[in-house]
Amino acid sequence: MSENPAQSGVRRREFLKILGAGTATTAAIGCSSDRVEKLIPYLTQPDETVPGVSNYYASTCRECSAGCGVLLETRDGRTFKLEGNPDHPLNRGALCARGQAAVQGLYNPDRYRGPMIRRNGKLEPATWDQALQLLSQRLGELQSRGQAGSAVFLNRHESGSFPAFLDRWLAAFGMPAHLSVDPLADHAVLEANHQSYGVAWPSLSFSAARLIVSFGADFLETWGASVPQQLDFADARAKLEGAPRFVYVGPRRSLTGCNADQWIACKPGSELAIVNAIRGTGSIEQAAQASGVSAAVLQALADEIRAAKPSLLLAGGSGANGTELALAVNALNQQLGNVGTTVLPSQPITSFEGITPAAEVAAAIERMRSGEVQLLMVRGLNPAFMMPAAARVAEAIAKVPFKVSFSSYPDETSELCDLILPDHHPIESWGDAQPIPNVLSMQQPGMDPVYDTRQTADVLLQLAKGSPKAAAQFTAPNYMRWLIANHPGGTDAFTASLQKGIGSGTVERPAARRAPVTVAKPATPIDQTTGDFYLVVYPSPILGDGSGANKPWLQELPDPVTKICWQSWIEVNQKTAQRLGIDSGDVLRLETPQGAVEAPAYVYMGIQADTVAMAFGRGHTAYGRYAQNVGVNPGALLPVGFDPRSGGFVWTATKVKLTKVGTFTPLVTTEGSARQHGRGIAQAVSVDELGKLGTEQEEHEEMPGDASHAYLPGLRSPLASDATGEIGSSVKRKEKGMYAPDHWSQMAQRRWAMTIDLARCTGCSACVTACYAENNIPTVGAPYQEVHTAFLHGVPGGNILKGREMNWIRLERYWEGGEDGGDFEARFVPMLCQQCGNAPCEPVCPVYATYHAPDGLNVQVYNRCVGTRYCSNNCPYKVRYFNWFGYGEPARPQYAWPERMSWQLNPDVTVRGKGVMEKCTFCVQRIREAEHRAKMENRPVRPDEFTTACAQACPSKAIVFGDAADEQWSVARMAQDRRAYHVFHEMLNTFPAVVYLKKVNHPAPAAPAGA
Amino acid sequence: MTQRRKWAIIPGLVALAAVAALLSAYTGAMQQQQQQQAPDTVITERGAWGYSAASSPQGRAPVQPIAFPHPTHVQTLGMNCLYCHFAANKSTDPGLPAMSTCMGCHLVVGPNRPAMNGRPARVSEGITTLTNYWKKKQPVPWVRVHYLPDYVNFPHMRHVNAGVTCQTCHGPVQKMTRVYQYASLNMGWCVNCHVGNVNPAWKARYDCSVCHY
Repeated sequence: MSENPAQSGVRRREFLKILGAGTATTAAIGCSSDRVEKLIPYLTQPDETVPGVSNYYASTCRECSAGCGVLLETRDGRTFKLEGNPDHPLNRGALCARGQAAVQGLYNPDRYRGPMIRRNGKLEPATWDQALQLLSQRLGELQSRGQAGSAVFLNRHESGSFPAFLDRWLAAFGMPAHLSVDPLADHAVLEANHQSYGVAWPSLSFSAARLIVSFGADFLETWGASVPQQLDFADARAKLEGAPRFVYVGPRRSLTGCNADQWIACKPGSELAIVNAIRGTGSIEQAAQASGVSAAVLQALADEIRAAKPSLLLAGGSGANGTELALAVNALNQQLGNVGTTVLPSQPITSFEGITPAAEVAAAIERMRSGEVQLLMVRGLNPAFMMPAAARVAEAIAKVPFKVSFSSYPDETSELCDLILPDHHPIESWGDAQPIPNVLSMQQPGMDPVYDTRQTADVLLQLAKGSPKAAAQFTAPNYMRWLIANHPGGTDAFTASLQKGIGSGTVERPAARRAPVTVAKPATPIDQTTGDFYLVVYPSPILGDGSGANKPWLQELPDPVTKICWQSWIEVNQKTAQRLGIDSGDVLRLETPQGAVEAPAYVYMGIQADTVAMAFGRGHTAYGRYAQNVGVNPGALLPVGFDPRSGGFVWTATKVKLTKVGTFTPLVTTEGSARQHGRGIAQAVSVDELGKLGTEQEEHEEMPGDASHAYLPGLRSPLASDATGEIGSSVKRKEKGMYAPDHWSQMAQRRWAMTIDLARCTGCSACVTACYAENNIPTVGAPYQEVHTAFLHGVPGGNILKGREMNWIRLERYWEGGEDGGDFEARFVPMLCQQCGNAPCEPVCPVYATYHAPDGLNVQVYNRCVGTRYCSNNCPYKVRYFNWFGYGEPARPQYAWPERMSWQLNPDVTVRGKGVMEKCTFCVQRIREAEHRAKMENRPVRPDEFTTACAQACPSKAIVFGDAADEQWSVARMAQDRRAYHVFHEMLNTFPAVVYLKKVNHPAPAAPAGA
Repeated sequence: MTQRRKWAIIPGLVALAAVAALLSAYTGAMQQQQQQQAPDTVITERGAWGYSAASSPQGRAPVQPIAFPHPTHVQTLGMNCLYCHFAANKSTDPGLPAMSTCMGCHLVVGPNRPAMNGRPARVSEGITTLTNYWKKKQPVPWVRVHYLPDYVNFPHMRHVNAGVTCQTCHGPVQKMTRVYQYASLNMGWCVNCHVGNVNPAWKARYDCSVCHY
């Protein structure tokens, strides 16, 4: 490159001159800041609000039936973040990904703006007066014709006051009680619990158990109240030596299964035979025959269960014999003396009382088909999506002369209705929940309604006023007043409860309807269906029953097991795939007599050899821009059949015919490699070797990736040490600035750090969504966001296929073992910016946009960044993310927050522009806020006073954040744990501020250590 | 690279230069035109800091929907800044008085002003406009004078509580008949104080991440 300047066409100097002129001109055009911005004052300042300071309203999460307590962080009249309520007995401050994403339902751009009336076959906007008049008139007609008794009200199951209120209202109009539908409910377990214990859901004490055996119960996902279960499970596992061993039995290794120490792959529906063999009511050989598991493994399991006292046995899955299985497991728990120690019927979870069996909902749908039903009302549910295609729900609903939907979103069901009375989002609503006996979880609005919606309870009250008979019963002006009037303890108690979000007392419940279920269509046993493979359809741990599909955070959150987002996939066993010549991404076709679906294959070790699995939740044909035509719905394959004992819908119901289509669809995955390749990213230790960790520290220092214990206390970065003259003391600069520990700013006396306990982490990914919510991270995978490549245009997740995902904290999942088809281990590692003391990204930045702050943060200055991406290139952890497009600019097609999603943006965090690198900085806005608060109160920041968004949300309490230089902070103690290690530090000398604590494995008692 | 290709760069660069020159001439003309057309923005006075730069709208004094007389309220009536900008000592955001704060006094102090201090009786245009907004239950759409980009976090309370007067950054607002941007608000101007280069010598942390996140 040594060219003679005289020979080159343009001299360098001249070139720079021209370039300079061009830049100056651009600057003059680009930076004119004569923008006119308005400042709009309040008419009257609301009480207790200070601009720029958040208010927190204690409320209840309604994303599933559990009823966790949340705090709605609200500023300037907008709720922008949900956090778990630390005082709530159920979730103790934690919140799952679905709960975090509730705000995206609130500000969803596809929400109904107001009531709609079907005129000439089309839904058209109407006023509330018109809409209510229409419904009032129809109700009057129905009553005068004496047909009110045929009406059907389908309501999303919830605990608290509303169900009884609704039944009273229906009765006042002569209509039958509502059906309380929970699409995620495990009816078999509910029914068995009622039979065994007289309650729907006993509390489960994972911490008290010595052994946990789950027969398909995904208690970290959708089975029961996942957050409290996860909290308790993590607490149990954190006991290390005293922790319970966990065995998962089932055809598919779910997220819960991935947290187990051992997975026993059995055939779908054969769990009952195994349980019976353990109970002694069946033989091991029979069970081995039925399940395909070797008799030795089953014998070992049986021995282990009998030896471990107490143990906790759980049943789940939804096969045709689900209730029998659940009853057998309950009986076994009883037999082993677990009831009262690990299974606590005396402390029930009341959230799941009163769920209507799916068979009754199906019966109502059959009544619609026969033309009996004159009025259908649906609230919070989407039966046209959640029932399998074979149930032909849409067709049945169409037969109803007048259909009313209270849905807030244009989903498959509401599009069939004649009248839409959009309900408030739970964040805009009043209410309560009864998750635990004698505990009321209060629900209050965080803000005024976003659109012209009305709370259904208020609509019902207003309708009652128009009816002479009902008016006398419903005198309250609105539902809030009704709640106050019926609150145990009256107005004062209500006001006091609202402050904490929790009240005491019991509210009226609808009359118990525990009549024996009549099932018109008992499910055919799965072995009697035709096909080559068993089909397991499971509810997505992220999207739930599909109601999460219109929230881009959840669509973009990779499935915890497969790491696939924005897409549906078919899980195929690796050996089967090898036999059939299937590779991940090959499009497969599944066929049953009911229908067929096509989706790419995901070759997975964690599925039984003759089983394929699909997640339920995607494949909407309506439901807004984020859900429509994203993925496929495996419901198309399922026959309609119910468990004859519980009336629950049978999901694991059929075999399928599998064919290779011959095309290829790349998997939208955020995963690089599923194996660690000896890099020591996710480390684990056997429980037997735990004792050695403390004593043989010196040897462990030599292990790749192990922590250098010498530098752990205070996690002093070499940079800070250098500034103090400790390292390389030959060159002593006079002025060390804020890096000097005795500097007046005292900034260098802190060292913000984090510990992540992998013994607790379950991989649930709640931290990822919490980070999206806190840090204004754009989602990039929506179909409308990929506009540049012809073959990816409009493809969901198109940008992610190009590696443009933006998750500052990601959940890495690594497989260990299992290459030979045997059992394997899953390890989850939350990976975020390690805030390296000796960061590889810092020296390569040509503009000093990333540098090390004296308090230990690896700072990214967005306004300095020019987007060279050198830092990302040099980051060994790959935790820096680049804004390839103007995701924050409304005029661009990639805009991530279409109206009014932008209302969710955290006002404390910059929305990054195009061409800027971004990453985690330990929620620096929270650090600064805590410092401001402390300074205002003239005190130092208190130990553990605040934490990051990921740590706050974590339902396993695996993440601890704080100042590692101060012994009073928990993180300083945690960082010195014997299990501590740093990722890549020993190899790359990065001095990370994130300390991981090794996962602890509990091998089978008989097996040699380390197996 | 061949000799010929090298020479081929020349026309390209010439074209680039021409475009640059044209653009610069055009923007210059546009700016002149804008200044002629927009008497709303009057540059009244430069701040005393001397840190102005081309990118700062220092001195900008936009016309407000109501010609709010700060001198009357502060100097004549002796009101404290915090009476209206009530959050300046407790929040990052200084707070803008709610309409009800204005009307708290102006329900009594109506548009008809009696003769006072040697001034004849008159009808106050400003108070008339204010009461009209209030009657319509509309807020006054004030025009923002001091603007910081989104990537800067400026906590007002930290400055106010440290004893930095409002006038230090906002200038003699009590004397301004129309509020203008007194200081440049450029980063150099901020840092100058943070490192203690001013008299009295305030000092504060000057790490990037103190303000930029």
